[in-house]
Amino acid sequence: MSTLLDVSDLSVSYGGVQAVRDSSIRVEEGEAVALLGPNGAGKSSTLRAIVGLIKSTGEVTFRGTSISGVACERIVSQGLTLVPEGRRLFPQLTIHENLMLAARHRKAAQSTYEALLERLPILAERRNQPAGTLSGGEQQQVAIARALMSQPDLLLIDEPSLGLAPTLVDRVYDLLTDLKADGLSMLIVEQEVIRVLNFADRAYAMANGTIVMSGSAAELRDSEDVKHFYLGAEE
Amino acid sequence: MDGILTYVVNVVSLGGTYALLALGLAVVFSVLRLINFAHGELMTLAGYALLAGILLGVPFWAAVLAAVLVGGIAAVIMETTAFRPVRNANAATLLMTSFAVAMLLQVVFQNFISARGQAVPVPSLFTGSIAIGNAQVSIIQAISIVVSLLSLIALKAFFDRSRSGWAIRAAADDFETVRLMGFKASRLIAIAFLISGLLAGIAGVLWVMQRGSVDPLMGLKPVLAAFVVVVIGGLGSLSGAVLGGYLLAAIEIALQTWLPEGLAPYRDALTFVLVIVVLSLFPNGLFGKRVAEKV
Repeated sequence: MSTLLDVSDLSVSYGGVQAVRDSSIRVEEGEAVALLGPNGAGKSSTLRAIVGLIKSTGEVTFRGTSISGVACERIVSQGLTLVPEGRRLFPQLTIHENLMLAARHRKAAQSTYEALLERLPILAERRNQPAGTLSGGEQQQVAIARALMSQPDLLLIDEPSLGLAPTLVDRVYDLLTDLKADGLSMLIVEQEVIRVLNFADRAYAMANGTIVMSGSAAELRDSEDVKHFYLGAEE
Repeated sequence: MDGILTYVVNVVSLGGTYALLALGLAVVFSVLRLINFAHGELMTLAGYALLAGILLGVPFWAAVLAAVLVGGIAAVIMETTAFRPVRNANAATLLMTSFAVAMLLQVVFQNFISARGQAVPVPSLFTGSIAIGNAQVSIIQAISIVVSLLSLIALKAFFDRSRSGWAIRAAADDFETVRLMGFKASRLIAIAFLISGLLAGIAGVLWVMQRGSVDPLMGLKPVLAAFVVVVIGGLGSLSGAVLGGYLLAAIEIALQTWLPEGLAPYRDALTFVLVIVVLSLFPNGLFGKRVAEKV
């Protein structure tokens, strides 16, 4: 396995407030990594900084090349993209338009599009429907499909289960499991701790803007600290 | 019946020009959250370019084409020189910049061309009128209707079929996520300004052909009307800008046609009263949506 994403000493500030402090994260090729933490821990800021949407300090390398300070659109073209929190589909655009907007070369992306239509029947059935008319679970599937249109090597996913009923969360994770089986690497921010630890290979836990724990998903699942901080709060 | 036909022709003609101007404002607003008050000066610039072309003896169609292109190119230059340096500043800074650019261009027109209006000799081919029943429709009005409708159809095809068109529509909702789709922010903004400038160029040519002259402040009144149109239509709504254009024209022409003579001086005031009524009923415009900002 070779290292796909290497984040060292990442820090993010908003005005005078430091949202992320000296955080280091690594994702190997083919790996699914979870980033856990309570609200305000700095998880979303970490993902947004990695993909170049917000300014940060520290070093981020992707496939061994530095992407620190590189514009978001160039990072996406290198094979790293983000499924943002809250899906953020373009509600007035149809599903087809949402997907094709993410395809930088329309002809080359046609086979990816066809494959996605086959994998997710909802896309085929409703391709000409405005994305704003879909349910939350359907929107999440379309948001992941849209990110796949840029043919990424690494997918950052922010809160895929946010606001979804458990059965819909199952459907989203079924899709992520299929993608993982295909070899796609992922870094997932998630508050459904058990769900994501059952899915991921490794995990990091954040609190107050910094990484407080890391290890294999099984290690974190068995950790008393994780049980206390995250699972205790869920009960 | 003829009165109604004349009314409809007037509304479609004026509304088409308003729609083109308002769409130009709305396209830029979609990507930059800026109402570009220098949009009227792009129109004026196209008017002067048309005049220059005619005076230089260029064939009329070529002068028209050049004038429209001047509008587009000037808009891109305006974006790169004036707006790009302040792109990440707050909305008030962007707005003040657009006022400054408008003032600057007006002064340049006044000092380097003339403070007075310049007659634009439109070929006699365009000065006649066509009889439809007992109603007379001027050829320029007919051209104005056809050109504005064709421009709107072409623009709809662009927004519905091209990736850049989707990106501009999407940017009205969420510019940041458009960048996540791999779209370069600078490129998208430049495309929006180019479209906006071309639309101002087309509107400028139609406006000058109807008036027969161009002056440094020519763009002021139509851009104010277009501003009202985008507010009525709903800021950020492209279809709202088009429908708002025709709605404002319908109100203006109705008042112009049927208002008793004694109330004629209050025409503009009444127009704005109706606009206030529309906005009281639809605070976000007819097709706008509530804007929630995530902090």
